[in-house]
Amino acid sequence: MNTQTHISGNGDDKRTLVVVFLRGAADGLTLVAPLGDDNYRKFRPRLAVKREDAVKLDGFFGLHANLRALEPAWKDGELCIVHGAGGESDTRSHFEAQELMEHGGPASGGWLGRFLRTQNPSPSPLSAIALSPTLPEVLSGAPSAAAFESLGDFSLGGRGGGKRLPSNFSHELRRLYELETDALRDAARNTFDAIARIEAIDPNAQPGNGATYDERDSFARGLRQVAQLIQADVGLDAASVDLGGWDSHFTQQTLIEPLMLRLARGLAAFRQDLGARITTTTVVVMTEFGRRVAENSAFGTDHGRGSAMFVLGGGVRGGRVFGGLQPGGPWPGLKPEMLEGPGDLPVWNNYRDILAPVLTRHGASADALGKIFPDFSLSGLPLFAE
Amino acid sequence: MKNSTRREFIAASAGAVALSYAIFRSTQGWLTQMGQVAGIGVERTLGGKLTPPNARDIDPVSHALNRLTFGPGPGDHARVSAMGVEKFIEQQLSPEKMDDSLCDRATARFSDMWNEPLGEQYDAEPEALPPVLRRVTLLRAIYSERQLFEVMCEFWSDHFNIDPGKADCRWTKPTDDADVIRKHALGNFRDLLRASALSPAMLWYLDGRANVKRRPDEKPNENYARELMELHTLGVHGGYTQQDVMEVARCLTGWTIRARRDDGFAKTLISPQTDHFAVFFRKDAHDDDSKRVLGHEIPAGLGKGDLDRVIEIVGSHASTAQFIAHKLCVRFIADEPPQSAVSAVASAFSASNGDIKTTLRALFAAPEFASSAGTKFKRPFHFIVSALRATNASTTADRPLLSYLERMGHMPFCWPTPDGYPATAQHWRSTLLWRWNFALALANNQINGTSIQRARLQARIGSDVGLMATLLGRQPRAEESDAWLKSGDGLALLLASPAFQRC
Repeated sequence: MNTQTHISGNGDDKRTLVVVFLRGAADGLTLVAPLGDDNYRKFRPRLAVKREDAVKLDGFFGLHANLRALEPAWKDGELCIVHGAGGESDTRSHFEAQELMEHGGPASGGWLGRFLRTQNPSPSPLSAIALSPTLPEVLSGAPSAAAFESLGDFSLGGRGGGKRLPSNFSHELRRLYELETDALRDAARNTFDAIARIEAIDPNAQPGNGATYDERDSFARGLRQVAQLIQADVGLDAASVDLGGWDSHFTQQTLIEPLMLRLARGLAAFRQDLGARITTTTVVVMTEFGRRVAENSAFGTDHGRGSAMFVLGGGVRGGRVFGGLQPGGPWPGLKPEMLEGPGDLPVWNNYRDILAPVLTRHGASADALGKIFPDFSLSGLPLFAE
Repeated sequence: MKNSTRREFIAASAGAVALSYAIFRSTQGWLTQMGQVAGIGVERTLGGKLTPPNARDIDPVSHALNRLTFGPGPGDHARVSAMGVEKFIEQQLSPEKMDDSLCDRATARFSDMWNEPLGEQYDAEPEALPPVLRRVTLLRAIYSERQLFEVMCEFWSDHFNIDPGKADCRWTKPTDDADVIRKHALGNFRDLLRASALSPAMLWYLDGRANVKRRPDEKPNENYARELMELHTLGVHGGYTQQDVMEVARCLTGWTIRARRDDGFAKTLISPQTDHFAVFFRKDAHDDDSKRVLGHEIPAGLGKGDLDRVIEIVGSHASTAQFIAHKLCVRFIADEPPQSAVSAVASAFSASNGDIKTTLRALFAAPEFASSAGTKFKRPFHFIVSALRATNASTTADRPLLSYLERMGHMPFCWPTPDGYPATAQHWRSTLLWRWNFALALANNQINGTSIQRARLQARIGSDVGLMATLLGRQPRAEESDAWLKSGDGLALLLASPAFQRC
């Protein structure tokens, strides 16, 4: 019997949501290729994923070979994919699209921050973390959020530095910040609380179930530390991990093939490490927009609209690609007249309709969803079995 | 040094010769002193009066020092008080008239590893260039008397951000720093814009070099054209459309650079080494039909003249004045600056056709500037440099110091995307722990290559209260004095305190 007192607002479920943002606009048509669509190869004479190389999914779609590490999750029914996914911003601007998508529309603060606020007004100091130098927009407005790159360094005075500190230093520093009345005081409170929680974790513990992360890869290291925090029951509700560099205007394959390998291997190790805890964890992989359907003259693709999103974890209706205009409907095909603007895959599935069922699983009420995604008429996709 | 390599460097293309000529010269200067002072940093002389600020709150002198510089050092308040704030601002607006020998010395011996001239390094070890640029940038921020100039260099480096981590930008970003950013930092915005458009690093970073139309079916690369309007001039809601992006891209087709190697794309552009990165216009790759940009007709047949038309149209656009003014006001006034101040600055920008000094004068004269003292949250680079200046630190800006900037996500020239490092507090508040740890390490001389003389500093200033006032730019509050005494490490505590995070 587990007698540990959980500090998280999500109680005994201990559910954690991990958001992986592929910054730079990842090409959904390479990640998840519509192999059965003849137009795909016509638009992409040099860049199309070849049928013989792909990881077959359902007879029509195939994953790029560098995503093969995701195949077990697919076969075990823990991974589903939504194609033609994206936001409503049509400026094709990375910054505008990322900001709108992280804010969940033209609202202030991030959707994840607002979600956390609806869940528990005074959560764990480690309720939300970003494995990055600074906090991403998606977490802005969270009641508590910390950004860092390594758990082991999270102490006052540096690694093991607590012992060298004058005994009153921390107390006096805290006292000065408590005299502040703005966001700086809250930032300091979060920092002091997070220090205490993280100091209790052993950063050198081995990953679970024989999982191996590539320690040279910052993305894999980030996921590993998320897993450590989940396993340490520090009350982690949400984590944000970025994988950037997808802006493939030029020699696309050279740019994104290593990224796909890191994405798939990192997620596969994370899933293995968590073992049974994956059932209470959801990973969402998203990107600000996709790339133009037709390749350009430089073996690359320019900014487009729709891309693909991945949802991995417990309870998902895995082994499916939601690729159509209707949930579960057929792929409409890359016919020139179907494309948007300068020749882009349209957004058939708004990212909010993908996030809404995920947040429901993580405890958001219908009322809360209205606050998390204001001014948007939700029609969530049936991504979960429950 | 191999003479052949040296000759190649000297004879190299415009891009290579321009490669941070100042750094090159400094390196030459350093070579003459080699062995003498290798690896030892310089420090500002504690000459003259060190009278600390005496006011209860931040006075106009401390305010000007806080915002126009990377932070006051001991004696700066007394010096600026004596000359008056207006004269100080004018002095800072004419950096070419100021003696900067201390900074020259600091950057001349910036590294004990750097025992070959840059030309040799350029030839053999491109990986060494961005780290040197980072160190030199940090040293200039700490030791230069031309503080406003350095602040503006930082501002424009963010505005026209280029990540040297992208392919050949590691060779070309130092050139961009010297010939685009530093050359025009206090000059005219349109000159700056044009220089940036034709910077080898920018042509690499935003794929301008690959924006070619050699055949009717070839599509222009829109990357630079979009960022030119979204980030460099009009702003994302500045009134341009996707059509304008495509038209600007067409205007800029054909501007490219000589390639260093065959990267599978620009085979025809491979150059001999002496010609690496030379910028040139390929008429055969330019779309010379007529275009329409932001409502302006650009007739067919202008060739390379299309670029000048584009710079003129976007540079003089009303949205550009608003966008640049807003950004400057965010830097110098507040994260959410009053529209009245933005309008005044935008008017000065427009009326002077983008003269940066005139624009800054209007900003510093705005009442909204005067009333904003002590409210801006320092970005990590500003925080680190201000702590080093306040404590009169001596540093070589070596790896152990730079690693604090890296930890806080603010290492110079490491921001991957073209929007530059975020300007406002919300992006940086989560760096508090690393600021506190830096304060502890600096105060206790635990950063290799960086040192302070705490006892001497305290003795020269004369009292604890004086040292506190020097750090805070005002007299300490009762709680600050109390915490200074009780903390066991007053200097570290004050550098870590809320007040020192602001300017």
